[in-house]
This record gives sequence, structure tokens and C-alpha cells, in this order.
Amino acid sequence: MYKGGIYRTNYKEIDMENTSQVPVTVLTGFLGAGKTTLLNRILTEQHGRKYAVIVNEFGEQGIDNDLVVDADEEVFEMNNGCICCTVRGDLIRILSGLMKRADKLDAIIVETTGLADPAPVAQTFFVDQDVADRTKLDAIVTVADAVHLSSQLVDHHEAEEQIAFADVILLNKVELVEDNDIVKVNDRIRKINPFAKIIKTTRCDAPLDEIVGLNAFSLDRVLDIEPDFLESDHDHEHDDDVTSLSFVSDTPLDMDKFQDWFGNLLRTKGQDILRSKGILNFKGEEERYVFQGVHMLMDASPMGPWPKGKDRSSRVVFIGRDLDNMNLKEGFENCKSA
Amino acid sequence: MNADLEKLQESNKTELERRGSIFNIGAPATEAVTIRDQIAVGFGDGTVRFFQSGSDPKTVKAHKGVVLSMTNYEDHVLTGGDDGRFLKISSDGNIDEIFNFGSKWVDCVVSHKDTKVCSSGKTVYIWRKNKDKPEILEHQSTVAGLAFDNKGKRLAVSRYGGVTVWKLNNNKWTASNFTWKGSHGTVTFSPDTKYIVTAMQENQIHGWRINDKADLAMRGYPSKIKSFTWVGDTPYLVTSGSSDAVCWPFDGKEGPMGRKPIVVANGGKELATFVKALNGEKAVFTGFTDGSVLLAEIDESKKPIMIRSSTGSEVSTIAISSDNSQILIGDMKGSILLSSLWADN
Repeated sequence: MYKGGIYRTNYKEIDMENTSQVPVTVLTGFLGAGKTTLLNRILTEQHGRKYAVIVNEFGEQGIDNDLVVDADEEVFEMNNGCICCTVRGDLIRILSGLMKRADKLDAIIVETTGLADPAPVAQTFFVDQDVADRTKLDAIVTVADAVHLSSQLVDHHEAEEQIAFADVILLNKVELVEDNDIVKVNDRIRKINPFAKIIKTTRCDAPLDEIVGLNAFSLDRVLDIEPDFLESDHDHEHDDDVTSLSFVSDTPLDMDKFQDWFGNLLRTKGQDILRSKGILNFKGEEERYVFQGVHMLMDASPMGPWPKGKDRSSRVVFIGRDLDNMNLKEGFENCKSA
Repeated sequence: MNADLEKLQESNKTELERRGSIFNIGAPATEAVTIRDQIAVGFGDGTVRFFQSGSDPKTVKAHKGVVLSMTNYEDHVLTGGDDGRFLKISSDGNIDEIFNFGSKWVDCVVSHKDTKVCSSGKTVYIWRKNKDKPEILEHQSTVAGLAFDNKGKRLAVSRYGGVTVWKLNNNKWTASNFTWKGSHGTVTFSPDTKYIVTAMQENQIHGWRINDKADLAMRGYPSKIKSFTWVGDTPYLVTSGSSDAVCWPFDGKEGPMGRKPIVVANGGKELATFVKALNGEKAVFTGFTDGSVLLAEIDESKKPIMIRSSTGSEVSTIAISSDNSQILIGDMKGSILLSSLWADN
């Protein structure tokens, strides 16, 4: 297995159908995009489910419910000196309080401010053992304003990061935008993030089961990566743009070479790699290997034999900054077995 | 269950379990404090229950959600809840709402004589005797721990980035900051008030010698330290967070600086989650992730005694009655053991 970066060992043990882990959805998006509308829907349309919502203190007003908790977005770096170990201290404290409840929560939703970097929230679920034992990151959901997203992407790098990190993107307020402009916004999102599911909504009217309880961080969801999204072509205006790159190989990979390359890559460039996912075909291995990562943190595991009658090809996706200067293509090509 | 199995389970019980009472409350036990001959326990269903040997516990429906914090106050308990209420509760069930913070949690409570203190968010509220309105102390981040020194003259407030120690001089609170990177939780003064120590969100505890602010970093734990307690005259700061109770000596000029801790009460593959001193003795009760509890002297050559067998749920609180006659052990599943400590009781 890979030893690169901070590798969460015993993936299977941690995730072993631990039904007592409460799923957590991280909700991001700029002010005015429609997060509050969505939160109010989640709290009012519960259909017998019990959700707690952790909101930020600078957020929009208008949510009143017993299960709404104020957070102060207290980000701190751990003393081990590892950059990826920047976590949300307030979340650790609040989640520990929520876990003492007598009634079991079906899910927890964490709202972040429009300008917050989603990485520390996601990392909290990997780095803090107590949090990892009792909760699991379900999905990062980003609400984007179809009217303003294009200009926000130009003006605020946070907007790019929120798109880049997302597993699901609600492209909201589509009723206010011409059809061909929706196609343009959609294409812009796809350039940043090829694997997120995009749902076009009016007043965030997507079914809740497409937002909460997705298990998007489960490794077997990596297998859902659509090969169609994997296009290496890209063009961009600034070097600090968030982009994605993907590679496919029909030649089996050499496990040792891949481990060396990928481990070193995450260790040295993990700060610029926001998300990574992949399915790998190793020479001499009957099973598929899958991985997914947030910055330097990642999970990896064998995931059953390859389906019969389908191509055994390796696919990897990177989303991040400055990907062109990481020699990713060359590095990946060098992992091919002789 | 067949008779043989029942017998087998009975024989696996400890002496204290055989002579004590077990109550299944069904909600996590969050805090326990002693008031005279009773032990009050706060639960994750918002109730506070008063336990006393020989009778059923009295239940007070105190908070809507979780009892997050609790301390004793004269003949009452003070509680803070995730329903935003700061309450004073008597054992006969009288509830006096001191303040309602609405949607904000009341994370920490502490008292000294007739002074009542709580924190909600970044703010500490102090109600002193004969004053209607609370004094307000602001901090830069959310307060995660409160502790008075033994004279009630200094109040330690832990938070992100360290501890603020507030000192009462001429009726005014003045602040002194003790800084260490990271998020600090539960805080305590050493009994001689020379040191303050916090449990961090990382797997370490941090201390400061108050007079020169010298740092003490106590590390090497495999998990977070959720509980500590001062034991004996040395004294030792005994901590959870490892497979043993880890006991740091705080005697001499340097305290634990450059010294190794004593480790007692080995729990095998289980990790210690709660520790509680046996008053007046150089001994500590240590609760583990599986619900078992050991009593051990602070002496590596002595064997610990099994007090409670495994319940499958981590020990979240232990309290001893003020006369050292009764022990109460609670876990995250809400199972409570109340038993006399001594066989001839």
C-alpha cells in the first residue's frame, strides 16, 4: 500500500460498516448563493429524520431550530508541523457535544462561510481520531449562484476552491439565466472539477437524498468516475487557476513505482493538490485498487476484482493549482510496468 | 439466557458490582459531582439524576438537550446545557434558571463559594454575591475550560492558543495570558497553585509554571487526554489517554520537567478515558474504553484491583461521595454502577 504523505492506515477497519458513525455533509458556497434556503429546507423537510446543522457566526440570519449550533470557524494548525493537519477546533468540540445526545442524529450538516477554505473542515474528519470514530465525512456540497459564479471565479480564489472540493454542486438560480449561459457556466465548472455531480436548481429545489447521505467519500464511489469527464485538454488564463488533469492507462502499472511517485507527489505538492481520485490496475494484481485524497491526506484500498468483460484500465484525476509544473503526465507514464 | 450463562456472568462480576446497584439510564452520562451524601449525574437526555445509596435515583428534567457541564455549588449543582440554559438545581428538584443564552451552548461551568461562573461562546459570565448583573470577560475564541484556584482569586480560562488567567484585585479582574499554539480544553490549577495544566485537542497535555510562564509539554499519548486528576501529596497529575494511567510528578522546583511519569493500572489494549483520585490516598480509579475500572496505587510494583468489569461502553465519569464511602461509575451508554467502596459498609 501507499505510504505517501499522511496515510490513514487500516482504512477497512475504520470504515468497516461502522453504522454508529454519523454522516456529515459540508455545505459551502458564497453569501447569497442559496445556502440558507437549502438549510431551511433540510430542517423543515426532515421526513422523520433528525439533522443537526452547524452554522457559522457570520452567516445569514433566518434559521431558527433547536438543532442549529453556532460555530466560530476556529481553524488551527496542529503542533506536528504538518500543513495538512490544519483542522477546525470548534468543530471537534461541537461534534463531541452532539455525540453525547441521547437521541441519535441521522446526519450533521456543517455550513461554512463563503470565504472559508473548505480544506480544514474536510481534514478534521481525517485527522481527529475522536471525530473519525464517531462521524464520517459524507460529501462536500457547494451551492453556486448561476448568475454570479463566473465573475466570482475571476475575483475570488475561494470560489474556485469551493467548486474544486465539491462532490455535489447545486447550480442554483438557473431560472434567472439564459440557457446558453447555463451551458457556459456548466463548462467552466467542469474544467475545474470533472467529477462533481452538478444539479441545476431553482431555490435549491433538489431532492434531499441527492444532497445528504451520499457516502461520496466512500472509496467505492471512486469507481463511479465517468471516463467521459476525463479529458486532459485544458486552457486557462492564470497560473494560480484551479484546474483538473486526468490520465488513463491501459498498460498495467507497477505498484512500487506508483507508490514512490504518488507518495512523494502528495508529500511535496499536496498543498496544491486539492482533490485526487483514482482507480488503478497493477501488474500481477487481480483486484482493483482505489484511492481518494484531500490535499496530503488520502485513503487507499483494494476494492474487489475487475468486472468481467470490461477493460482493466487505470484512471486518475487531480484537481489543484499549478498542476502543469508537477510533471504529472510524465510521472504517471513512468509508473507503467515494463 | 440459560442458567449456566447467568452463573458465569455473575462470577465474572467484581465484588463492587455484586454488592452495588446498576441503573440503565439509556443516555450517555456526561458529568458527575458530589453533594454531601448524594452524587448528581448529568446525562445526554438533559436530565440530572441524584443517586444515593439505598434508594432509587431522583430525576430532574433540567435541559432540553445535553447536560454539557456541571459543578457543585453550596447544596446545589450548577449545569450548562446545549439548550443555552445555565441552571442551579437542588436535589429535591427545584430548578432556578440563572441565565438563558438562547441558541448558544453553555459549554463550561465552575463555582467558588458563592460565586457562579459559566461560559458561552467566547464570553465568561461571573455572578458574584450581592450582584444582580454578571461581570463579563471576553476572549478571542471559544472558551473550552474553566478552573478556579483554591482561594477563588484566580480564574483560568482555556481557549484556542492558550489560557487566560484572570486575577481579582481590588474588585477588578485583570488578565494574564499563557500562550501555546493549538486548541486547549479542560484546565486545572495544581493544588499548590504553582502550575496550570490543560488537555489539548492534540494527544498531549500542556502546562505552565505560573511565576515564570515556563512551558511543560507532556506528550507521547496514543489518544486525546479527556480527563485528569490530582493525586496524593506529591502531588501527581494523573491523566487518561493511554493504556495506563499516566502519573506526572509535580513536586520540587521543576515539577515534571525532564522526568518520566509513573504508569499504573494497565488496561491492556483498552485506553484510559476517565481518572479520579481516591481522596486522602495515593491511589486513583481509572476507567477504560470498554467500561472497566481499575483502582491502583501510584506505585508500579503494586497490582491494581478490578472495580468494574467491561460493559462495552467507555467510562465517561466517576465520582466518589464526600465521605469516601460510595463510588459512582457512568459510561457512554448510560449504565451507572453505584456501590459502597468498603465491604463492611
